[in-house]
Amino acid sequence: MLNRRLIPSFQRPPSRVMIRRAASYEQELGTLIYESLVEFALPVKDKVVLLKPNLVGPDPLGVMNTHPAVIAATRESFLRLGASQVLIGDGPAMDRDTEAILESVRLREFVGPLPRIFVDLNIDDVERVPLATKASRLKELYMPKTVLGADLVVSMPKLKTHHWAGVTLSLKNMFGTVPGSCYGWPKNVLHWAGIDNAILDINAAVKPDFAIVDGIVGMEGNGPIQGTPKACGALIFGDDPVAVDATCCRVMGLLPERIKYLAAAGTMLGHINVDKIQQVGEAVVALRSKFAVLKEFSALSEAA
Amino acid sequence: MSLLSPANFDGDAIRRGFNFLIAAQLADGSWPSTPEEKTGCWVTSLACWVLAGESEGEKKYSRAIASGLSWVCDDWPRDSSWWQRSLRRLSFAKQQFKYNDSARGWGWTPGTSSWVEPTAFALLALGCRGSREEPEHPSAEKRRKLAELLLYDRMCPGGGWNCGNPEVYGVAGEPLVIPTTWALLALRKYPERRENIQSVAWLEKNLSKIQAPGSYASARIGLAAYGRQRTEDAASAGDLQAKNEFLSNIPVAAWMTLAASNPQNWLAPGKHS
Repeated sequence: MLNRRLIPSFQRPPSRVMIRRAASYEQELGTLIYESLVEFALPVKDKVVLLKPNLVGPDPLGVMNTHPAVIAATRESFLRLGASQVLIGDGPAMDRDTEAILESVRLREFVGPLPRIFVDLNIDDVERVPLATKASRLKELYMPKTVLGADLVVSMPKLKTHHWAGVTLSLKNMFGTVPGSCYGWPKNVLHWAGIDNAILDINAAVKPDFAIVDGIVGMEGNGPIQGTPKACGALIFGDDPVAVDATCCRVMGLLPERIKYLAAAGTMLGHINVDKIQQVGEAVVALRSKFAVLKEFSALSEAA
Repeated sequence: MSLLSPANFDGDAIRRGFNFLIAAQLADGSWPSTPEEKTGCWVTSLACWVLAGESEGEKKYSRAIASGLSWVCDDWPRDSSWWQRSLRRLSFAKQQFKYNDSARGWGWTPGTSSWVEPTAFALLALGCRGSREEPEHPSAEKRRKLAELLLYDRMCPGGGWNCGNPEVYGVAGEPLVIPTTWALLALRKYPERRENIQSVAWLEKNLSKIQAPGSYASARIGLAAYGRQRTEDAASAGDLQAKNEFLSNIPVAAWMTLAASNPQNWLAPGKHS
């Protein structure tokens, strides 16, 4: 991974976040994503890149999982940029049959045969990782070697609300790197450790280097599984997943500083303050689309 | 387990497998999910079940099985404590989930909540409790009853199980094939119960929609355990595997092998060779 060190936010340089307009999954996404990545000048030549989409379960409406068109276009873009290998990996939390999820998502149709491309992180070989942050009670986690061995980890969530955490974006998406074979389906030990604090510990341990959020169609209300589709028409990129998530919240009409884990991440993992986020591409206001939240999370809305 | 089936019997591989299991058992009787880990978890039930499945296993591995089952019986889920149940009654979690919290099963890892699959694994393991010479753990019977209560309580409306959330925020959960199969196997002594009948019917109805070999093999196992043999589409699991060209993972390979065997050969202990 590129950013191995934990740097307090006050010592960090400003982060860059790019919002791009993308009306549908049918449009040509390859050029849009490639050009967006070029802007960030990521050092990926001859590197191993791991894309971590959000694959949750069978999804006939295509609103629960990161869309395969976005995953495929991103993979192609990193290969064009000179990456030696671009793997796709996830460890779905609720359904043990990862192949069934991939079939329902139709990933093979978009990226071709999966055997040497996709890694089921739930059953990958693992390595013990001490948790330096100790935000939760967890002292260590066993993490997949594919994640730990990648030169660049890219979190690729769907733009969704979440009925326990408020939102699930690039930081929460990293729950999927925790292996089910060690922690189960769901990874309930993380819930008992406190979802907010576990998100911090996992991201401090894995340190995703980049984030690309699929906000072409997101999910509002009772997410991350049983919510309602919400067209937002955006792809959001950035080299600081905290800043990307904070920007996503603003696009969703939510206040990032009121999301517990994001507020805490803003002190140690990245920036949530707009003054520290260099915004490029479309302005937040151009694509703002107020997402409905459960009444338990009404305080997150900007109007509240 | 799949290698113990007469059709796939491989003495060498089985011996190596059992040696691995015995060497991997921790001092407290449990098994970790990977050799690096020092804490036991959900695989303990499966290890006990497999060891008891060998024809001589009940005698040969009786101490390993007994200490494993003792660990299982002592492993109460954290959400079952009086304190946690009282907290839940006061918190907003009560509105999120509706379930009978007097029912208790097992979690995937110690100190967490009850879930369908680890509860089913533990029930299967307790059903083959190793050497009859070893006394049963004092809480085994109580735990069996509470676990059966939990499985029935967590069934999705209309039949079938998912990980253990039949309803969240008033919305019914969707069943999944693999948890449904394990729950049906664990509850197979009640084939006439309405819940079992509904769940078998759900599996049968959904068999043709399954797109992956793991779930397909699992559904075949569940149906076969209830006497619903599907010889007419015996090639389907292989077709799905060939189509996917994908994830040659051990659980899927094992489920496919078990699906090709008569469940009576491996569901009950000591009947494998």
